[in-house]
Amino acid sequence: MTLSDHTLKEIRELPPKYPHIRSAVMPALDLVQEELGMLTQEAMTQVAQALQVDPGYVEGVATFYSLFHLEPVGKHHLYVCNNLSCQLRGAEELLTHIKESIGVSEYGQVSADGLFSVEPVECLGACEYAPMLRADHRFHYDLTPAKIDTLLKEWRGDREGKKARKEAHPRAGSH
Amino acid sequence: MPAATELRGSHGKAAGPVLTKDFGTADLYKLAVYEKIGGYQAWRKALTTMQPAEVTGEVKASGLRGRGGAGFPTGTKWGFLPPPDGGPRYVVVNADESEPGTAKDRYLMENHPHQLVEGILIACYAIQAHHAWIYIRGEYDLQHDLVAAAIAEARTAGYLGEQPLGTEFPIDIHLYRGHGAYICGEETALLESLEGKRAQPRSRPPFPAVKGAWGRPTLLNNVETLSTLPWIISNGGAAYAKFGTEKSPGTRLFTVSGDVQRPGNYEMELGKPFSHLINDLAGGPFPGHSIKVWWPGGCSAPVLTGEMLETPSDMESLAAIGSMGGSGGVIVADDRRCVVRCAYRLLQFYAHESCGKCTPCRVGGNWAVRTYERVLAGEGTAADLATFDRIQTGLAAGRCLCGLGDSAGWVIQWTMERFRDEYEEHILRHTCSVEAAARA
Ligand SMILES: Cc1cc2nc3c(=O)[nH]c(=O)nc-3n(C[C@H](O)[C@H](O)[C@H](O)COP(=O)(O)O)c2cc1C
Ligand code: FES
Repeated sequence: MTLSDHTLKEIRELPPKYPHIRSAVMPALDLVQEELGMLTQEAMTQVAQALQVDPGYVEGVATFYSLFHLEPVGKHHLYVCNNLSCQLRGAEELLTHIKESIGVSEYGQVSADGLFSVEPVECLGACEYAPMLRADHRFHYDLTPAKIDTLLKEWRGDREGKKARKEAHPRAGSH
Repeated sequence: MPAATELRGSHGKAAGPVLTKDFGTADLYKLAVYEKIGGYQAWRKALTTMQPAEVTGEVKASGLRGRGGAGFPTGTKWGFLPPPDGGPRYVVVNADESEPGTAKDRYLMENHPHQLVEGILIACYAIQAHHAWIYIRGEYDLQHDLVAAAIAEARTAGYLGEQPLGTEFPIDIHLYRGHGAYICGEETALLESLEGKRAQPRSRPPFPAVKGAWGRPTLLNNVETLSTLPWIISNGGAAYAKFGTEKSPGTRLFTVSGDVQRPGNYEMELGKPFSHLINDLAGGPFPGHSIKVWWPGGCSAPVLTGEMLETPSDMESLAAIGSMGGSGGVIVADDRRCVVRCAYRLLQFYAHESCGKCTPCRVGGNWAVRTYERVLAGEGTAADLATFDRIQTGLAAGRCLCGLGDSAGWVIQWTMERFRDEYEEHILRHTCSVEAAARA
């Protein structure tokens, strides 16, 4: 999978925003992931060319940070916190329930319909609402298996995944 | 609007006196609302009536100490920057908040973003920086957007930009998103990441004050630290110092999570006992249960027991019993919880988040995880008590480049110190009476 001209243009416009070009690498990878859902080898090479940095450098950055996907994920990728505060409030039970509901046996595996994948993550900074998860750029709080069922039903009706961040947060965009 | 998340913590009658005093005001995140309650008056005062050194002087007088984890005196830190040399210098805001059990910076950013923006402007003026960078963890999407919107509103209103409030002191505030790595909260790893690199801590010296972002003098402060500044400038450092204790003045925004009835973010005067925070504000344990173990400042602050709830919340009182103020994230676990299992979960965290740069941390974390796994599977042997000790001493005592290794070592050291019985039961008798009782 390679990048559209539109995304490449956006990437080329990034460097002037930063004191040094290297700082544009991660924002560029965000744009890639927004378009392709993951970072492909070809796209990383394209980023390196567009920003005139070494392809190995781009890959080095991409492999360090856990929010970059180097493998395919579902249209809705669920980050479920299972650090201590969430674990005390039932995160493990939720993780098992999610795996069963979307029909996967392993974390990171994509469901047969391509819609879902799930991954346990470290503290997401919303411990007072434990257990919680993040999906499609939004947090979901005070989860129970029943709430998960409702969310999954909603997401099954959204076959594309709301990748555009603007849609996730109308409040912030409304000014 | 994301179904206006129910505010959980200090607001209404329970609001604190400084950081959360206006929480509960409808639409506090909007500039018009903030201006109506006196917003940006501190910025006007600082920029148009005070010299930069006077601003730093007020912060020194307040006694404010950093709320990111280390508790370093804020005014003193500002004084470490060399005098301006005409080249760029930066304020970098640590909004990476990833210490387990800590959610207060999120709470401040999503409910009161202008208070933070105003604090950043004050800090920029005090250290004579024309650019601030907010490094915000990538998972905080809503918070990123709200802070970005606040910056845009403040720019339109003329509080920042080319000529803030008509002065010749241009300021711009930029946002930079993290991408999921706890280590980016450590200040030098954060700078590496901001510069677009893998986030591996730098050795110090040089300190960021001298050689920070892009090799230039840099002030790094936490979101909560900076959010306190408007109040201090409006009311004076001496007024702030009236709250709290002599050495730990002021208030702090604590996150309380885990086995309590009303988890949330609560602002409390430093020095008040944790029993007030945990029992009175956060509702205490669930009926029929008691608090057994708690972490007073994120999981990196050494663990305490239920008998220690009366400990005053100032940093000195915590240091006196072998712990620390840390991030202010209070994690509470009740009598149903196995301490060995809790420690195992935390070591998994440290092992996963080790950046891999220094050997004790890279190797020690995984070794600890494997040992816990064996012990929890009932396969421990008497030698494992000594194994835990060896791993712990190998990680702690400043053997690593940054604090992550120490923190991992402390979890092992202090859970063993305070709950040795539980370790011995697992290792020598291969049972867990705590979990057996909880299941019964
Ligand atoms: C492993 C590690 C993680 C840290 N994480 C954070 C963090 O998420 N947020 C934060 O403000 N400080 C964090 N710190 C502390 C920072 O290094 C730094 O001391 C702080 O941001 C300075 O701001 P302050 O003086 O206002 O507290 C961390 C430190 C270490 C060693
Ligand atoms: S432990 Fe789950 S959000 Fe903090």
